[in-house]
Amino acid sequence: MKLKIIPKSEQDLSKFFLLIFPISLTLSLSIQFLRDAYFSFSNLLPNNQIFNYGFLDKLYNQSMFGLTTSISLMLIFSYLFSKSIGRLLTFFPLIFLTSIGIVSTEFLDVILNFVPNVKSNSLGNSTALIILKIVALSGLFLFASINLLAKKEAVIFHSAQFIFGGLLFYLISLLIINKNQVVFSDVLLTNTFYTSTHIYVTLSLIFLGIIHFLMTKTFNSILFSRTLASISFWGFLFLVPWSTAKFYYGSVLPNWLENVSIYLSFSILIPLLAFVVNYLKTIATRDSENSNEVLLKLVNFATFIFIFTNLLNIVSGFENLLPILGLTNFVNLISQGYLASMFFAIIALSYYLIPKLFGREVTFKPLDNIAISGLKIGYILLLLNNLFIGINSGYIWNAGANTGNPTIYGEGFNLAWSLIGINYSLSTFISLILFISSTFFFLSLLKAITSGNVTKVEEMVASNE
Amino acid sequence: MSDLINKVAELLKAPASLVQRSAEARAAASGSSVDDVLNSWLGGESITTAAPKEEAPVEDVVETVEEVKEEAPVEEVVETVEEVKEEAPVEEVVETVEELVKIKEESALTFVLSVIFVGLFTYFFGFLTTGNQATALVKESLNNTVEISNEAYIGAQIYSELNCQSCHTQNVRALIPDTQNGKVLRNKYASEAVLSNIGNIRLGPDLSTNATREPTNNKQWLTRYLNDATSVNREIPHPKYNFLNEQDMNYLVTYLLSLGEINE
Repeated sequence: MKLKIIPKSEQDLSKFFLLIFPISLTLSLSIQFLRDAYFSFSNLLPNNQIFNYGFLDKLYNQSMFGLTTSISLMLIFSYLFSKSIGRLLTFFPLIFLTSIGIVSTEFLDVILNFVPNVKSNSLGNSTALIILKIVALSGLFLFASINLLAKKEAVIFHSAQFIFGGLLFYLISLLIINKNQVVFSDVLLTNTFYTSTHIYVTLSLIFLGIIHFLMTKTFNSILFSRTLASISFWGFLFLVPWSTAKFYYGSVLPNWLENVSIYLSFSILIPLLAFVVNYLKTIATRDSENSNEVLLKLVNFATFIFIFTNLLNIVSGFENLLPILGLTNFVNLISQGYLASMFFAIIALSYYLIPKLFGREVTFKPLDNIAISGLKIGYILLLLNNLFIGINSGYIWNAGANTGNPTIYGEGFNLAWSLIGINYSLSTFISLILFISSTFFFLSLLKAITSGNVTKVEEMVASNE
Repeated sequence: MSDLINKVAELLKAPASLVQRSAEARAAASGSSVDDVLNSWLGGESITTAAPKEEAPVEDVVETVEEVKEEAPVEEVVETVEEVKEEAPVEEVVETVEELVKIKEESALTFVLSVIFVGLFTYFFGFLTTGNQATALVKESLNNTVEISNEAYIGAQIYSELNCQSCHTQNVRALIPDTQNGKVLRNKYASEAVLSNIGNIRLGPDLSTNATREPTNNKQWLTRYLNDATSVNREIPHPKYNFLNEQDMNYLVTYLLSLGEINE
């Protein structure tokens, strides 16, 4: 395995991001495990400024939604973007610097959580670094635009479209959290649009970018319809950013925004159906004999999670459900769903890329299968558990109020806790499964890269002449 | 050439005679040979490449072939040819293929500008404009005459650093289920340190009216609870904050006791 300190090509840069992705994922999941342990078993564990639920939650958010998400975006940008526009990336050295800059600032943000007196928001973003992130991402977006304008192919392949959209909305989410908050409503608006742009939209577009590549390339199938793919792209781009305001139904946000959010959430069904039909029809044309079944299952699973998450996002738009679901773990559940669908798409992409980039075969031995199965089981349990917590806790606050019991410390919260306490304890064990499985996934990639059978490395684009 | 025609016919699922006529018409229009056209339809090179041949990438042909196979609208060609086969006379097939050639040219500029437009629309209309409207709804916060004490202000910062807002909201909604939490407050202070404590998720109770409820309005009870929640209620999994020094704990309790309708 050869890694160049300064990458000379998109291929080298992809190798770097491919290697650090599982490390970052494992780091984030280990923090998630600690955080959940400190929620359920805080009385049994030593508490201090670092090892307490609040701090670990902030650290988890920054590590997962900042660092790991940025690495995911940079991985697919460095590998898929140039392939999708059919040319070498112009200004590659600058693209290399900006992409490394983005990941570095996100990493630095994780570290800064440990430095006292550095101000950060509840998602762990320190105000000191946001400007740097915006500058780096603006630069990368500019270079992506230039490369897109100089495309060689007559058409823009859909992966490039999704990646481009993902970059823009990542940038917009940073602009949103950089705005000064003056009044109460600013905080709600910032939370609303940051969650939708940074998590819902960006993660969805990363997922779709990968899937539109894998579902054709890996299985030798032909895209069923470019029109449907375009409907998916523009639909998710237009509709999803508005879909989070509904969770603040009844708050001080303008009523029209809450109502628009509800209606546009229902409209997500259109791009979702377009994607599902396109996916099923495309996969149906695959070369069954030469398709890698493990990758197919991974891609199918990622798609299933994505569909499930979007359906939850749509269903939660019903006005009668909003008082129950708003401000509960249900909101986290949707974020986790988008995250999980993206992870499984990247895991499939990682196994696909190892032979292409490192010239080593992946044979899917027990270690790989344990890692994949563990992550699948873990994420299904995580989503179901959060669904249960979200609905039940919301229902309890609702029922407690309607029966006239004040939801103060005492019987109101005891009632809630008696229903959801066991699920929080369960969360800790689910997080443990995910942490162990991601460690296996990291080892599985390392093993394949270092000791897999030698195969032919993919030839990348060599010239724009 | 007949081999090529057969291959293209197989790929497009169209009769060989139609393919041949279309290829001849295309070759005549573009000034290239029929073989070149057939090769391009097979995916050997882009049939729509507008750039002169000498500008086409040489070494990325392999990749381009694969990409075109993946995502280029070959399927659309098939569909259109099939539709035409059923409905249109033979001569129109040639034109349809020619139209497809034109359709495939996509403007990257239009795409880039459209995506940027959607992004800016979301940011300016969705976020900034709505923000101004929302500010108007709660503008009394800007002229708030209630001042927060220095101790409570430091307590608010400690609250934020401990990330208490990850479990507690200070956001009573104008909905029936929420009204038992207290009055719908438009916020107490136009201060950033306090604003960041609004919270998104309600795992524990809402704290908007913490200071006007039993027993959380009691300083001794609150201090004991924060140091060790199990000393008050064994079932509640509230984290211990016994690692805070006495002064910081006092600031935090002072802040919590400042939350209530009395400050609205």
